[in-house]
Amino acid sequence: MTKDLFKYFGLAIILYLFQFLVLSNINLMGYANPYVYVLILLLLPYNTPRWLLLLIGFVVGFIADYFSNSLGLHTSAMLVLAYLRPLILKRWSFRSIQDERGAPEMTNTSMEWFLVYVIVAVFIHHAFIFFLEAFTLRHFALTLLRVLLSTVLSSFFIFIIEVIRTRNKRVA
Amino acid sequence: MNNIYEILKRLYSHLLFLVLLGISLSLYFNTTYYQKAQVGSVTLSITGFWHQQASRFTDLFSLRRTNLLLTLENTRLRNEIESYRVKLQAYADASRQITDTVGVFSYVPAKVIDNSINSRNNYIILDAGTRKGVYKGMGVICSNGVVGIVANANQSYSSVISLLNTDIKVSAMHKKSGSFGAISWDGRNYRRVILDEIPLHVNVAVGDTIITSGFSTIFPKGIPIGRVTDFFNKDGSFMEITVELFADFKSIDYVYLVNSRAHDEVNQIQSVKQ
Repeated sequence: MTKDLFKYFGLAIILYLFQFLVLSNINLMGYANPYVYVLILLLLPYNTPRWLLLLIGFVVGFIADYFSNSLGLHTSAMLVLAYLRPLILKRWSFRSIQDERGAPEMTNTSMEWFLVYVIVAVFIHHAFIFFLEAFTLRHFALTLLRVLLSTVLSSFFIFIIEVIRTRNKRVA
Repeated sequence: MNNIYEILKRLYSHLLFLVLLGISLSLYFNTTYYQKAQVGSVTLSITGFWHQQASRFTDLFSLRRTNLLLTLENTRLRNEIESYRVKLQAYADASRQITDTVGVFSYVPAKVIDNSINSRNNYIILDAGTRKGVYKGMGVICSNGVVGIVANANQSYSSVISLLNTDIKVSAMHKKSGSFGAISWDGRNYRRVILDEIPLHVNVAVGDTIITSGFSTIFPKGIPIGRVTDFFNKDGSFMEITVELFADFKSIDYVYLVNSRAHDEVNQIQSVKQ
């Protein structure tokens, strides 16, 4: 339990550093803003109660907001994702998920399943962020393009992080 | 009680979501200017409502004083306007070498102490009497329309025949065409009066403004009365026009008494005759 707590804290710190020291300063192609800190929420155990998911989402989003100087934007997006996570897991439940104590990770599910899970979750999160940021449907196509590009990039980075992380685990 | 507990137990995570989302969204919309402006236009009706409710209470404390100040200022301004009108008139008349003092008015402010709208013959009591120069037959107006005519005045009070009185008729004019008629009240709706004697050929439209004609010396010309809401052919040659009053007689508070110099001169002639 304590080990898990440290694991998530460590992951959070690494993700935040990567996010705000590297990714947020790149602003790839002027359109895409990948947000990889979402992964923290995605990796929580299956049996995490909804209220805890919401609180963690709130805190994680709030810290992200604090660094990106957009108080409330990431917080609300993370809340939406935290609220929908149980539904996503239910809809795309992996066949071998029998053990309620586990967490949705690449090692204990298939790579395809994990990718779909990440892409769907990231898309929801990014769509919320970009449309809330634009706060208009006037440039719908442009905003949607930003959402899609960012989703692809974020999913790609998350996949890489996850590969590195689980490889380390295997070594350890 | 148990039921409520059960429902809360079932819904608390959804409620938590809504509460947290509300907090974060309000945080968000309170920190960036662009979104603040966008949300502002949507939520203004909601926040505006609360501000209005709050100010309704705070305003009450200064209402009396504010009203008094505004009335005094309005009186001063109206007197000023009239003095300019006299000067203008003088210039206009100089070319014709005629001096005409009809239409020279000054105003006396007064407060309504008693008012009714639900009888067929309504009267208004004002806190100004002969000591302030009020006399019988004076016109009474408020900031947005005609109120009535003074029926009686003692030293410090006067009673006014309200426009909402089936006994009174006021000369009025259709502003666009300049044709005139008489305003009277049918005793039904306190927001509506009837304008008679407008000939059928006059082009009247709903929304047209009705003003005082200025043919009597009671009211100056051009005081707004109301707006046309309906009209129909009454007896083949005249129209009956329904006019919605600008003045809300339910909430009349401060009024002006119209002091007409013509009235003084007519009085002088009458006293000479006697």
